[in-house]
Amino acid sequence: MDTATHMLRTGRRGALFEVQMALRDLRASLQRIDLAWSLAWHDVVSRYRGSILGPLWITISMGVMVLGIGLLWGEVFRVSVHDFIPFVALGIVFFGTVTGTINEGCDTFVQAAGMLSQTSLPMFTFVWRTVFRNLINLGHHLVIVLAVLVYFGSWRTANYPVAAMGLIFLVLNAAWLSMLVAIVSARFRDIPQIVQSITQAAAIMTPVFWPPDRIPARYHLILDLNPFYHLLQAVRAPLMGLGVAPHTYLFLAGMAVVGWALTFSLFANTRRRIVHYL
Amino acid sequence: MKAPPVSISCQDLTLRFPVYGVDAKSLKKHLAKITVGGKLARSHGATEVTALSNLNLELKAGDRLGLVGHNGSGKTTLLRALSGAYEPDEGTIEVQGHVAALLDLNLGIDPTATGFDNIRLRGRIAGLSSKEIDQRLPEIAEFSGLGAFLAMPVKTYSAGMQARLAFAAATAVEADVLLMDEWIAVGDADFQKIAHRRLLKLVERAGILVLASHDVELLRLYCNKVMRLEGGVASAVTPIKNLDELMAA
Repeated sequence: MDTATHMLRTGRRGALFEVQMALRDLRASLQRIDLAWSLAWHDVVSRYRGSILGPLWITISMGVMVLGIGLLWGEVFRVSVHDFIPFVALGIVFFGTVTGTINEGCDTFVQAAGMLSQTSLPMFTFVWRTVFRNLINLGHHLVIVLAVLVYFGSWRTANYPVAAMGLIFLVLNAAWLSMLVAIVSARFRDIPQIVQSITQAAAIMTPVFWPPDRIPARYHLILDLNPFYHLLQAVRAPLMGLGVAPHTYLFLAGMAVVGWALTFSLFANTRRRIVHYL
Repeated sequence: MKAPPVSISCQDLTLRFPVYGVDAKSLKKHLAKITVGGKLARSHGATEVTALSNLNLELKAGDRLGLVGHNGSGKTTLLRALSGAYEPDEGTIEVQGHVAALLDLNLGIDPTATGFDNIRLRGRIAGLSSKEIDQRLPEIAEFSGLGAFLAMPVKTYSAGMQARLAFAAATAVEADVLLMDEWIAVGDADFQKIAHRRLLKLVERAGILVLASHDVELLRLYCNKVMRLEGGVASAVTPIKNLDELMAA
């Protein structure tokens, strides 16, 4: 019960002050990170209430999709199912986490309008809620990942520490993208549609369903400049026992730094206005 | 360690609302505004409403402030600002003590979740730990009088039952500063009676009450001070016995 026992709110006092207040919001959200977790967990549980298998549906529908696409497209691309199913499974699961976090980010503040307009809860709490919700979903998908890795034997060659590091990069980047679209979507109601179009296009442009080596060398920029490709590669390659190019990490680290700087400064500027957007 | 005494202090509080019209929220309009420049310039930035202006307010433990004023005079805005949701544009708000705002009973009520889950969710939002909620759960459940229904989704409840649940959950957390928008009277006659007693207890325990209401009798009953808002401008805080003069002014 020691939350918000002292509250001081003031008018604008210059850019530096706004940044400090934004940092304070971030700190407060981290102190109550369990609240974000409870909210996320509540979201997942309530989404599947009344269904017999509950959140396992996330796993099942993903499994069906992986099998279907893996078998059919393996034929289309004439690659062995043995290689292709793990590739597609990992691709769909981790790409889904990225796009899920971003797409659901559009609703982060809009959905929380009621709470934001009568409590002093930190805004970051709702950003973490969206991120955690997608991580909980990812937790369910990991069943598929494990099954595929074990069945096709690549669990022996997989490099788990490197994959875990890749996952951290993935979450770091997905989180700022999620927050960015959350702020902008609160202000402009067209943004969710735009965001969805972009993530849909990304699903096609990124080697989620198709092997990256099928692309002619002169089009390699599609891969090198595609942030989604690097995000995916950082996690998928080590799990398949492959190496990750150093420039992928460079790209992801740069993207995280620039992205968070951009998002945070936008947040510092709009923080006191967001509740009025809703 | 002794906590500093409960208090509310607003200095030169000014709060402006930017009004984002339904269509002004569309990106197209925004872009159009930029491209056609001068044409629409007069509508640009003009839509700002001053909801509170230069409000000064000092409250300390034991103060029971009633807010009166017409619709749109800024009562709810002031309450939301005191709850920490709205940031002032100018001036400062300082609140010592744990704030509970009973502005919207349905805060965080999820119709698809069960009654129990909703109580938990509401408690978490109010700052209780899972353990504290588990301790209070039996009391809240009993108070709501919903019995076995608490294990069912809230959407199966009647409106009155929903109100009972919301009320029981919202009033389970004691606070130093209690903000209320209208006295909440919910449920059937029986429930209203016990709800009333519970609110009174909550008010007694709270150091400060700020209650916005149109009901003069109610204000006389619960408040010892009163302030009138008129178009975002506040009168001085006066003792409740001057309510009639204040209303007539």
